[in-house]
Amino acid sequence: MKTFEHFDAASVEEALSLLKKYGGKARVMAGGTDLLGVLKDEILEDYPDALINIKTIPGMDTLKESAGGLTIGALAKLADIASSPAVKAKYAALSQAAESVASPEIRTMATIGGNLCQDVRCWYYRYPHHMGGRLLCYRKGSGPCHAVKGDHRYHAIMGGKRCFAVCPSDTATALLALQAEIQIVGARGTRTLPVEDFFTPLGNSLSKGDLVTEIRVPRPAQGNRQTFLKFTVRKPIDFAIASVASVITVEDGVCVDARIVLGGVAPVPLRAKGAERVVQGKPLDAKTAEEAADASVSGAKPRSGNAYKVEITKALVKKALLL
Amino acid sequence: MTTMKTQYRYIGKPTPRNDALEIVTGKAEFIDDVKRPAMLYGKVLRSPYPHANILEIDTTKAEALPGVKAVLTHKNVPGWKTGIPRHVRVLDRKVRFVGDAVALVAAETEEIAAEALGLIKVEYEKLPAVYDVEQAIQPDAPQLYDEFPRNLVPLDVKVFGPKSLSKVVMGDVEKGFGEADFIGEGTYAYENFANPLPLEPPGVIAEWEGPEKLTVWSATQSASWHRFIMLSKMGFPDIRTISTHCGGSFGSKNYSAQPLFYAAALAKASGRAVKVRYTKEEQFGAFALRLGSRFRGKVGIKKDGTVTAVSGEWFVDTGAFSDMAQAQIAVGCGEAQLMLRCLNWDLRTRLVCTNRNASGIVRGFGGQELESAFHPILSIAMEQAELDPVEFFKKNYVKPGEGYYWRDGNWWVCRGKDYSNAIMEGAKAFQWKEKWKGWLTPTAVQGTKRIGVGVGVHGNADVGEDESEAYVRLNPDATATIHACVSESGMGQRSSLCKMVAEVLQLPLERVSMTPPDSLINPFDFGLVGSRGTFAIGSAVIAAAEDARQKLLALAAPLFHSEPDELESMDGKVCVKGKPGTGIPWNRVTSLTQTCTGFGRFKPDYSVPNFLILFVEVEVDTETGQVVLLNVVSATDVGQVIDPLSLEGQLYGALGAAGMDTALFEESVLDRRQGHLLNINMMDYKWRTFSELPRFRNVILETGIPTHRYKALGVGEIATSPGPSAVLMAASNAVGKRLCDYPVTPERVLKALGKIKKE
Amino acid sequence: MRSKRIRKREKINLTVNGHAYELDVGRQAHQLDPAHTLAKTLRETLGLTGTKIGCDRGSCGSCTVLMDGKAILSCTTLTVECDGKSITTIEGLGDPQKGILDPLQQAFIDHTAFQCGFCTPGMIMGAKALLGQNRSPDEGQVKEALSGHYCRCISHYHVLRAVLEAAKRIR
Repeated sequence: MKTFEHFDAASVEEALSLLKKYGGKARVMAGGTDLLGVLKDEILEDYPDALINIKTIPGMDTLKESAGGLTIGALAKLADIASSPAVKAKYAALSQAAESVASPEIRTMATIGGNLCQDVRCWYYRYPHHMGGRLLCYRKGSGPCHAVKGDHRYHAIMGGKRCFAVCPSDTATALLALQAEIQIVGARGTRTLPVEDFFTPLGNSLSKGDLVTEIRVPRPAQGNRQTFLKFTVRKPIDFAIASVASVITVEDGVCVDARIVLGGVAPVPLRAKGAERVVQGKPLDAKTAEEAADASVSGAKPRSGNAYKVEITKALVKKALLL
Repeated sequence: MTTMKTQYRYIGKPTPRNDALEIVTGKAEFIDDVKRPAMLYGKVLRSPYPHANILEIDTTKAEALPGVKAVLTHKNVPGWKTGIPRHVRVLDRKVRFVGDAVALVAAETEEIAAEALGLIKVEYEKLPAVYDVEQAIQPDAPQLYDEFPRNLVPLDVKVFGPKSLSKVVMGDVEKGFGEADFIGEGTYAYENFANPLPLEPPGVIAEWEGPEKLTVWSATQSASWHRFIMLSKMGFPDIRTISTHCGGSFGSKNYSAQPLFYAAALAKASGRAVKVRYTKEEQFGAFALRLGSRFRGKVGIKKDGTVTAVSGEWFVDTGAFSDMAQAQIAVGCGEAQLMLRCLNWDLRTRLVCTNRNASGIVRGFGGQELESAFHPILSIAMEQAELDPVEFFKKNYVKPGEGYYWRDGNWWVCRGKDYSNAIMEGAKAFQWKEKWKGWLTPTAVQGTKRIGVGVGVHGNADVGEDESEAYVRLNPDATATIHACVSESGMGQRSSLCKMVAEVLQLPLERVSMTPPDSLINPFDFGLVGSRGTFAIGSAVIAAAEDARQKLLALAAPLFHSEPDELESMDGKVCVKGKPGTGIPWNRVTSLTQTCTGFGRFKPDYSVPNFLILFVEVEVDTETGQVVLLNVVSATDVGQVIDPLSLEGQLYGALGAAGMDTALFEESVLDRRQGHLLNINMMDYKWRTFSELPRFRNVILETGIPTHRYKALGVGEIATSPGPSAVLMAASNAVGKRLCDYPVTPERVLKALGKIKKE
Repeated sequence: MRSKRIRKREKINLTVNGHAYELDVGRQAHQLDPAHTLAKTLRETLGLTGTKIGCDRGSCGSCTVLMDGKAILSCTTLTVECDGKSITTIEGLGDPQKGILDPLQQAFIDHTAFQCGFCTPGMIMGAKALLGQNRSPDEGQVKEALSGHYCRCISHYHVLRAVLEAAKRIR
């Protein structure tokens, strides 16, 4: 690929100062499993002058569990999150989501911060420049959305307005269900955003010069049940066509709390609040599950080529509730 | 495996491949591992438009970039042309698909070459584009080539001689339909343009040793093609081709005309060796796809499964140009007759070009494409007649003594095998009788899951196609060297041929080797295509070994004061038959300064079709529409297994090379508004993974087939072909409705189940 | 040993198959460009062409090597970020000088667990990493470990047999 300057940041401050110095012409390099593909295909008009390697920042890859919850360094590897006994025991939705990503080799290299911040997979957006020229589009800042009248089989069935690419992050779906918060350090200092405020229809709330440093997941209620279900064309490797993460608390046979999140169907991970309302206070039987599944897609506005996602989403919601 | 007890020393026994060590240690040399002195790297500038004239092209900035040694456009490329008929220029003043070549650059590094591409300024005049095979032949359709009115590519090109098959016409179809009890008809298509997708992308290194002397290294499975096919297209330079170890080809890299042209043109312009190595994206978007196939036709059958008439129009979509589509049409027409014994045919074809990345040669070679589009019509007729498809195929596959027009337009009479036993053994292994519940009826329903089964057959008389020559040289040190231009792209044929020679010469296997696949040092071989390796190349190599053996015995006879036919050679010693104690080592027969060379030549023989039947079982999830392949059984009769593990590998290959999975999830997604292929990467193009392997059993009969002394027949090429239609049948049966489109996506299943309102 | 604060590397020291290499970072032809992937460095700078590049996008597994014992994708790794790392490629298995093969390599030969052989180095390295962490994997675990590896010839069934056999032989 085209060359760039390369820096090993020794601290968050150093990384931020380098980002600032390059004024938007530098990219953060963590696992590289998304970034290098973006650069090799030159899908964006801007090619960075520099890559800032943050893997050399000590202490940003840890996984710590305490009574209050889980603290995950942004550089924690997906493989480590997936296999961590603590995560598997109490944050199963997250470990299952991390486990579902790509392949073992990728999971060894990829970080959770990168998984959250990765770019969309829309095949118009990702069209490689050397195969006839990159495609400019609304998301890239100039042009229409090609998917609207084109092949949008993998695109959003809800929440899409000007851009219909879906959020590809599986960990985002699980983290939203787990009420996680994302810590960001930047020029404005340090701030913490709940997952639902982190994602926006055109990406995320990071400004140029911001760095995700930590993810915090509060300990879920006692006796909760968690699932992460992902529908893909192929079992391994693929991004979700639709996914569901759920954290459900049942007491005396009745659901007292539910967080149901849909992935792969909208530009952001989406709380299925309608479904959550349906199950609140009810036993989780087939009828309730069916109702909740219908409610989860009541806001769907599929296009002609992706209506099938509605059925798949319903099937996943139903399954998640009956597990 | 059902095998006869083998009486051979090597034939039929599993032996390690002779290139196994270099493969597992990473030493096997593939095209990208080869470097020539002062070699440059070639890159291609590609078109953003599906159809456009190039009005202006300015390469001054690119040429000025340090490290750039040659820049070529349509203005200064050599006038070579490929394709059938010759219509594909090295670079044209027109582009015909998104990704079509516009300019070429050779530079010291790939990065400099890529940078130079960005400095070339092109002014295009956009033209309307056409993507549908029937729309493309309308009078007002945009025309891709001046020489092809209505985008109809000529069929009368005599690719296989003056009577080359481009249609199947015989008997009286009117009468035939009159005799039918049931008629199936409709229009069905296999137009997902799947990609054979070998792991290794195509690549060629070209180096001119003089103005008319070219050496080419290529990842090809047929080295001689680069020579004899390209000679006339490139103005008859002397071409030497060296085939590197090939990382999979499945037909697609045989020809590699475009990378070859680009490398050779840049090498000529720069005066240095040039490597053109495609990226994976180029392999997806600018290299051989399967042909598109649409069949509008009718078939008439009797209650008992007799086929009384077949008529129809086969529309073949070759994309932006025809590499060899006419050859695939010829073979497809031949294969249809193998599958269906019928006296009355009126099957016509049209070959059409459209504005997408061109189709090329792919395993299945036209027959898979025709069968996949024709199968649903057959199914309709079989369903009406309530016929078990296995019985139907058993009845109708060509039998010894019956005839067919093969690709050369001649009438050939089958002298091969009746494959009924293979069919029955396969059906037994699959438990077909228990699982088949009738047309559009699931085998089982378990909650939201439905199981369905399907079957397909295929066969090819090209197992005996084209010429092969070989020398076998017996060396004084009791080794033997085979001179045959045979590449290695996965079939293990180089090792299997060594086994045949070792068997003829009764020499330890490790003492037999083969020359590298280099057209300079070997006689002619047509290449590894159409499963011909075992029969055709095998015949030549066996004949050469036998010829050498006879020469050796003739030399030895005086030493024994006997006739040559009283002698034999065993383990490098000539002895009186049955008396190993009398053995004289080869070096004393020939002396150390003499070798013994035999010659063998195979002439084409299209009278021995091979055969494969494929049974599949799928599970459909009626809530998500997902179709999962559970179970596969393949059954064949190969006469005699040469190498069991290599054969198994070829049969498992049914899951590869754009085979069965083109019915499940493989397709090239074409945006028909702007012309881009959208899934030109290994994430969005779906392929089968370790995690989702079906149960797969191969039933292999060995009943001896009249080919050569080992009575063996190849079967690799056809392994993929019955797959797609078998899966379509199985999915239809599971769902309870006829599914017509490939691949059977969740969307299509949910639509068929009525779960998505059609808009 | 943690090195001093280095922002922009001038030299990269890495070990490949037990040999130590020092590469100068820079843009000259003989230097290590920061944009060079490990796959490119292994193949073109170090001449170790056993590691293959199939897709160059981390989606086929053919470039798999071991880094500190774990299977990673060398096409998606920057060499300039490999300072201090220990890499094992296919060439580093067994003892080539003595003609000794790794049990995995021998098992692949015995089972003809390849056809064209292009995916083979990556497969063997992926399996090697698995057996380094799990001495007796079951078939499901082998499939999982190799789930990111593309093989178009469909040698999967033979590869599974070979890996399970190698595990048995090692035990």
